[in-house]
Amino acid sequence: MMIAEDVVNLLIVGVTLGGMYAIMALGLSFVYGVTKIFNYAQGAFFTWAGYIAWMLLDRFDLNYAAVVIITVPVMFLFGLGYEKALMYPLRRLPNWEINVIIVSLGSALLLGALAFALFHVAPKRLPYLVEGSFTLYGFLITRHDVVTLVVTLAIVCLLVLFLGKVREGMAMRALAQDVTGARIVGIPTDRVYGYTFGIAAALAGISGILLAPKVLIHPEVGWLVFVRAFVIVVFGGLGSFKGTVVAAFILAMIEAFVTFYLGGVWGIPMFILVLIIVLVIRPRGLFGTW
Amino acid sequence: MVVKMGGKPALLLGGLLVLGLLPIAFQDNPRILNILSLSLVWGVVVSAWDLSIGYARVWSFGHIAFFTIGAYTTALTIVHLGIPPGAGILLGGVVTAIVGILIGLLCLRLTGVYVALVTFGLHIVLPILISWRRDYTGGDPGLAGFPPLQLGQYIFSSSAPFSSYYIILGISILLLFIIYRVINSPIGLAFVALRDSDGFARSLGVNEYRYKLIVFGISAFITGLMGAVYASFYNGINPRVLRIPTFLLALIMIMLGGLGRFPGAVIGAFVITFASEFLRPLAHWRFVALGAIVVAVMVFMPQGLMAIPERVRPFIRRTFGRRHVEKEVPKV
Repeated sequence: MMIAEDVVNLLIVGVTLGGMYAIMALGLSFVYGVTKIFNYAQGAFFTWAGYIAWMLLDRFDLNYAAVVIITVPVMFLFGLGYEKALMYPLRRLPNWEINVIIVSLGSALLLGALAFALFHVAPKRLPYLVEGSFTLYGFLITRHDVVTLVVTLAIVCLLVLFLGKVREGMAMRALAQDVTGARIVGIPTDRVYGYTFGIAAALAGISGILLAPKVLIHPEVGWLVFVRAFVIVVFGGLGSFKGTVVAAFILAMIEAFVTFYLGGVWGIPMFILVLIIVLVIRPRGLFGTW
Repeated sequence: MVVKMGGKPALLLGGLLVLGLLPIAFQDNPRILNILSLSLVWGVVVSAWDLSIGYARVWSFGHIAFFTIGAYTTALTIVHLGIPPGAGILLGGVVTAIVGILIGLLCLRLTGVYVALVTFGLHIVLPILISWRRDYTGGDPGLAGFPPLQLGQYIFSSSAPFSSYYIILGISILLLFIIYRVINSPIGLAFVALRDSDGFARSLGVNEYRYKLIVFGISAFITGLMGAVYASFYNGINPRVLRIPTFLLALIMIMLGGLGRFPGAVIGAFVITFASEFLRPLAHWRFVALGAIVVAVMVFMPQGLMAIPERVRPFIRRTFGRRHVEKEVPKV
């Protein structure tokens, strides 16, 4: 009986974690799919979104609605500026693949160190979006988790619509398939690259707000989230939307069970083990195409 | 046509002369001597790494992990098995080469960014393994205080900077010479062929798998050996070398020197090591500054220092030279 209860509780944990990982990983996956750049600074975006939300809540005494309304557009502009300032000039050089990797790693270091210098190492705690909890069939469920799951599903649906029906989203898919073809039909590639980074940063911002109450914001938190997102994206297939979402839920589920039965330190090694197994057996991931 | 791929002998000899004489000027300054030694260690490590990413275009992100494995192998065998330091250092290189070849086997079927993912996986797992077996590895404080290597009357340790510098210089020259020979051998030619046109190279019978394993083996061996030298120079090792800044600074040494332009990485190592050490007074802001340096190098000097002559030369020729000798400079 106890075991069955544990399992259900872990499933609940896994589903809510999966939703948050999915948002984070989608940012990474979009950027890779469209621009073929693996953005190592995505984790630092997450950290900074957490700090911005904390500043607005704690220093400016705003409520959560205002925090979301300010943080997400700020992150979008941040991602846009990041692409225009650093990625855009580098993309036209030989060896640009490694150059952009190093620049994004360097930006991650810069942003993390800046957070460390400005906010110091003491972790910041954000309050839950909605306090309180309720019981359903004898299982304790926090309202925050419900909100998270709803927001996640809403965002996934919105993104599906965006990619399928909106001109800008369709342009992103076109670029992911064939850059030359997209150019020939007149898609403004540089602009698409810009807002793709913007959307990725905004997604990091949303997951920062949702996840921060659970993980505590500190200067290195972005790396922990980034490693997970990274494995999820590879497992799902680089650049695959469906694969990323499915992989996020599978891995979050595995993580929930591994950390419960083996202990918290095994979370990240489990991700790496999955990564290595996936890359050896099926390097292109679940739904990858190449 | 035979392509001279790496190594400008005049530059190498001049550099060696400077490196040999420089410490005499700083005899009374142990800090500078130790930074010079550290620069040499990193110079060799990043040259070996450049062999992998610059010449063979195998995107290993595991070289700092290899470095740490070499260092820990030495430290563990000296502390727990009590073997002589010299043997411990050699063992560090050998064990790392074996690990490197195993990682190479994992990466055989993978290309490009996927190789980076697997090798970076090794980098992420290592600190967890170290803290897991902290009864052996000493956990976060690491292992320290094991007996230094002694060559006759010369002690190899950061507490004896002058003699240690020359020992490191000797080891570095030997290893850099090996790297130079590899680059200018049929093996190096095969690396470059697979890098520039893998399909064509394979159609001519260049065995891709074999050369991938060779590059992992050689560069892991040299990196591990240098890790072992590093551990024995400081008489200790801790998992802090695995933190992201170290990894990035090593990468930026290669990029600052010039990717796939052999002695360049060594120059990059000297510049970055000195910059990093002299920025220490900035405390928290040091890593902000280092991050800014990394980004600035990539944005303003993406081809590296070694590319400066070939960019400046046509300009000089156009301005000062005779008109008709304009020769097409092959693009790299």
